[in-house]
Amino acid sequence: MQKPSLLTQKVTRRALLKVGSGLGVGSLLPLSGLSASTLRTQAHIVVLGGGAAGMAMVNRLAKRLQGGTITLVEPRETHHYQPGWTLVASGVWNADKTMRPNAQFLPRGVNWVREHAASIDADNKRITLAGGETLEYDFLIVATGIQLNYHLIEGMKPELVGQHGIGSVYAGIEEASRTNQAIQTWLQNGHGRGIFTAAPTPVKCAGAPLKMTFTTLSRLEASGRRDAFDVDYMAPGASLFSQPWVDEFVKQRFDDQGVNRRHHYRLSAIDPHAKQAEFAFVGPESEFTSHHQLRQAEFRRDDQPTVIADYDFIHVVPPMSAHDFVKQSALIAQDGPFRGEWLDVDIHTLQHNRYPEVFGIGDVIGAPINKTAASVKAQAPVVEENLLALMQGNALPARHMGYTSCPMITGIGKAMLVEFGYADNFAFMPSFPFIDPTEESWAVWVMKDRMLQPAYYAVLEGQA
Amino acid sequence: MSIGGILTILMYALAPFVWLLIMGLIIIIGLHLLAYLRGYQITHHRSRPANLLALLIGLTAILWVPWLTHSALGFVATAVDWIALIGAAAATFVIALIILHPLSYLISLKHEELPKQ
Ligand SMILES: Cc1cc2nc3c(=O)[nH]c(=O)nc-3n(C[C@H](O)[C@H](O)[C@H](O)COP(=O)(O)OP(=O)(O)OC[C@H]3O[C@@H](n4cnc5c(N)ncnc54)[C@H](O)[C@@H]3O)c2cc1C
Repeated sequence: MQKPSLLTQKVTRRALLKVGSGLGVGSLLPLSGLSASTLRTQAHIVVLGGGAAGMAMVNRLAKRLQGGTITLVEPRETHHYQPGWTLVASGVWNADKTMRPNAQFLPRGVNWVREHAASIDADNKRITLAGGETLEYDFLIVATGIQLNYHLIEGMKPELVGQHGIGSVYAGIEEASRTNQAIQTWLQNGHGRGIFTAAPTPVKCAGAPLKMTFTTLSRLEASGRRDAFDVDYMAPGASLFSQPWVDEFVKQRFDDQGVNRRHHYRLSAIDPHAKQAEFAFVGPESEFTSHHQLRQAEFRRDDQPTVIADYDFIHVVPPMSAHDFVKQSALIAQDGPFRGEWLDVDIHTLQHNRYPEVFGIGDVIGAPINKTAASVKAQAPVVEENLLALMQGNALPARHMGYTSCPMITGIGKAMLVEFGYADNFAFMPSFPFIDPTEESWAVWVMKDRMLQPAYYAVLEGQA
Repeated sequence: MSIGGILTILMYALAPFVWLLIMGLIIIIGLHLLAYLRGYQITHHRSRPANLLALLIGLTAILWVPWLTHSALGFVATAVDWIALIGAAAATFVIALIILHPLSYLISLKHEELPKQ
């Protein structure tokens, strides 16, 4: 829904005046035949986080704005291509392939603050940095991604990945490599039990835990000793994936490939030395999809029966949420399914529901699906158009339809191009009419292996 | 997507193979130049072995192209897969022919130049 009332009434006169001063001199200057027009402004736009979403936004805004100040707050020097981590953890890619200096993507004229943001004072439009300095903004884009809450699994910490048979593709690139080694060690043992887990919260790339299971199955089958290995998949709810057709497909495929599916279990504790995992039975009503509603505050263990399982390898998927400093700000959702955990935005305009000068993009937002780089590609032009409209006091013209995509790797060497959106219970939204999202394909695998990383970098540069 | 976007994607996709492309181009241009200086004409020279070898290399591409992409022929399943793979094999055949055709001419010259015993 568009919100003309919110945007013009609540955005301060100061911010609009800053834009207005330029509008008199012919504000919308044509840039080129390929690109939209530019806007003169004196506004200060702060982008928090320079991952896929934040970097795409600074590049887009740098092209569209003249005269304003764009500040990117991003502590990391290195940009990580996270979709490649699954391939690293599956032994297909080298880790080096996923890293590039952030400086390579930063457009000229953007101030890069190499620090963590520590707090957001949304009422006073002020960011406090970890070093204590403050940044005032006229417009804010929150793109800080996801916090991995390993601490919610008793006994688990990311440093354990690679030891005691523990893997976790999410923890980082080092850990993705160590996950590969842990799987390799398990394979070399020639037998044993592998447990693959999922989280009871929304996670980034909800397909990644499934992909890790499928690629490991490929490796087990290639070892020629598949029967010597037991593979369990422990899911917190009844579903394995939010898109219903894919959910059914994966369940069937797991059954065919001898994976023991157990539903309504969440990993609650781990004893690395004993190689034992504790699972809490979260109840038959629990429903896991990527819009699952379990919040940190609701992680109870007292009244839930638990089971202990021995493992030789375990793939841990941590519960996830927005970062603590976002959760402690007024920007966090106050009610509804995302309350206390995710940024409160309109899922179509990506404007904050209560602070109109704030937009959210990427993994941090509260949305039923969408924690993928593919979603960032679809969201970035929406935020760009809507922010520029807002700066001129116009109604927000662009809407995000929930597009998300996951090349669902169903084995090393094949994949399905699963693309879907909010509408019609996450109906497919295929980009290429000639690629059937329900078919496993070598060409889609080649896309994942060779083409998606270049396309991702084009998104970062604001080109796609 | 803009033309700039397509070019950016191509640039990133080809970046790891730039040295290979440059080396390949140098070899092709070098061979053609050398053969041309010795009277080679692309339309006049006929070489059955060069054609057959290029065809063989093109056909074997059906086996090793999936392997190069960390996959296997067994996973080539959909119509799009087969069109892509046949396209890759055809491209391999053409490249092989572009190299082998002038090469066969140079080799045939060499044989003619050998002193008869
Ligand atoms: C294993 C794995 C596999 C994936 N596979 C796919 C896939 O196949 N397809 C797909 O489309 N997507 C995939 N994704 C998801 C994709 O990587 C993310 O959705 C995407 O990176 C989201 O972009 P973002 O900018 O919101 O978050 P990120 O890219 O994570 O960036 C967040 C940035 O915020 C910065 N930040 C954090 N805290 C602060 C702070 N306090 N102050 C300032 N900056 C801060 C971080 O340093 C980081 O650079 C995968 C992810 C993982 C982990």
